[in-house]
Amino acid sequence: MKRIIVTTSGKGGVGKTTVTANLGMALARLGRKIVLVDADFGLRNLDLLLGLENRIVYTAMEVVSGECRLEQALVRDKRESGLVLLPAAQNRNKEAITAEQMKQLVDSLTQMYDYVVIDCPAGIEMGFKNAIAGAKEALIVTTPEIAAVRDADRVIGLLEAQGIKNIHLIVNRLRPAMVQVNDMMSVQDVQEILSIPLIGVVPEDERVIVSTNRGEPLVLSETASLAGTAFDHIARRLEGEKVEFLDLEPTQDNFFARLRKLLFSII
Amino acid sequence: MTDSALPEIENAVVPPSNTVNVNLQVRLKGEGEKLLLILPTETETATATSWSDLWQQLKQRLNGGDRFWQPSTTVHLIATDRLLDAQQLQAIADALSEVQLQLTRVFTSRRQTAVAAATAGYSVEQTSVTKINQTLNATPVPLAEPLYLQMTVRSGMEIRHAGSVIVLGDLNPGGTVVANGDILVWGRLRGVAHAGAAGNSKCLIMALQMEPTQLRIAEFVARAPTNVPSQFYPEVAYVMSEGIRIAKAADFSKSQFSLPS
Repeated sequence: MKRIIVTTSGKGGVGKTTVTANLGMALARLGRKIVLVDADFGLRNLDLLLGLENRIVYTAMEVVSGECRLEQALVRDKRESGLVLLPAAQNRNKEAITAEQMKQLVDSLTQMYDYVVIDCPAGIEMGFKNAIAGAKEALIVTTPEIAAVRDADRVIGLLEAQGIKNIHLIVNRLRPAMVQVNDMMSVQDVQEILSIPLIGVVPEDERVIVSTNRGEPLVLSETASLAGTAFDHIARRLEGEKVEFLDLEPTQDNFFARLRKLLFSII
Repeated sequence: MTDSALPEIENAVVPPSNTVNVNLQVRLKGEGEKLLLILPTETETATATSWSDLWQQLKQRLNGGDRFWQPSTTVHLIATDRLLDAQQLQAIADALSEVQLQLTRVFTSRRQTAVAAATAGYSVEQTSVTKINQTLNATPVPLAEPLYLQMTVRSGMEIRHAGSVIVLGDLNPGGTVVANGDILVWGRLRGVAHAGAAGNSKCLIMALQMEPTQLRIAEFVARAPTNVPSQFYPEVAYVMSEGIRIAKAADFSKSQFSLPS
């Protein structure tokens, strides 16, 4: 079945684009044909994270205006042949394209690919409305902060009003040590407010920054990382596989920690 | 009242400001065998509600209550003075048919809307706005029938209703429910609830888990205590002479129903 998924969050800077890039790469590694659509017109980033900036010739804008064919604008990934990117225009703003055009674009992409993953811009204005126009499912990315969760909640409401009911939650940049001492919202706290099914928890990881700067999604890395594994697991859960959630408890397995845990579980 | 165990809540009195103008929102109202879908008038809404706002409200309302009407109930659309083109009419009809409601008749005061509706094959009644309002308010009822919603009232949503509101789900932070009657949240109340918005301070706010951003009853306003209790009970908020108080639901009903001899 063809999947059309939009990654969205409401708030900016929570990791929509990072999630999209890594998920795209992970799905491609699972042998899927996947196209990533950058719907962030005017502020495109997805090409940078994928390290594909220097290969862009045409963008979605030229496709819409009829200056090139859709196939010409698609940028094939150099590492995973199953992955292509439809870049956004950098020199235009979000009003340059209509929801109807976006929908047509996405529809024609579903003919060729198993997955169409749309990277939504922050906010709930025109850019957001365009990005969700063609989508059938949504991935909500949020960090465990009240502002991010509040915005995510609003976005879920808007998605539901649009008839997108298949919505999953990704909690990004979680710091288990902070959660344990009650300095950060737990995944459970976030879920309690948003009340949508969880599909992944990605721990805070400095290597995400490194991989972003290099244009190499973390899932490609030779050495395993918790964040990279988390992205990989999300991809597999999207595929319908049952994958256990990572144990992100900080590892301080001394005697007292274990004793405390034991006591807490009794109380 | 035996609510001494409960932490103080901060009270304040605000001048009575907003009585609920239900005409600002899309309304669904049962009338005999059929449902009336009433759109807010363009003239009454100070800031004109745009089509996309209207559309969102309609979808949210339909999503929240889709098991509360019989399949294939007919719907009369009261479009008042709102200009609707063929596409928008079609969108409304589609949204209704998604929840197995059937649009059959359109009431409007605008000629263009009437033409669009007639072209689409609905029976049309073109009347003046005042006449529509007269028929709607023909029998002035003190409170509208309760609004029953099965949904999460999420951030940014505002439910306004001229009667009591029952939410089977959570009222999230950033969400608002304003009712002329009582508000019952069968879930967590974390947003803003305003009961008795037309000025009735006898109205109540009830929730399984009371963690509101703000509670309002009639002209009274209260904030929840900043220290979060470790355990939650179903609670009832009501107005006393000194302001809004909260009592455990179990204690509240006892004090209400067992009159002192």
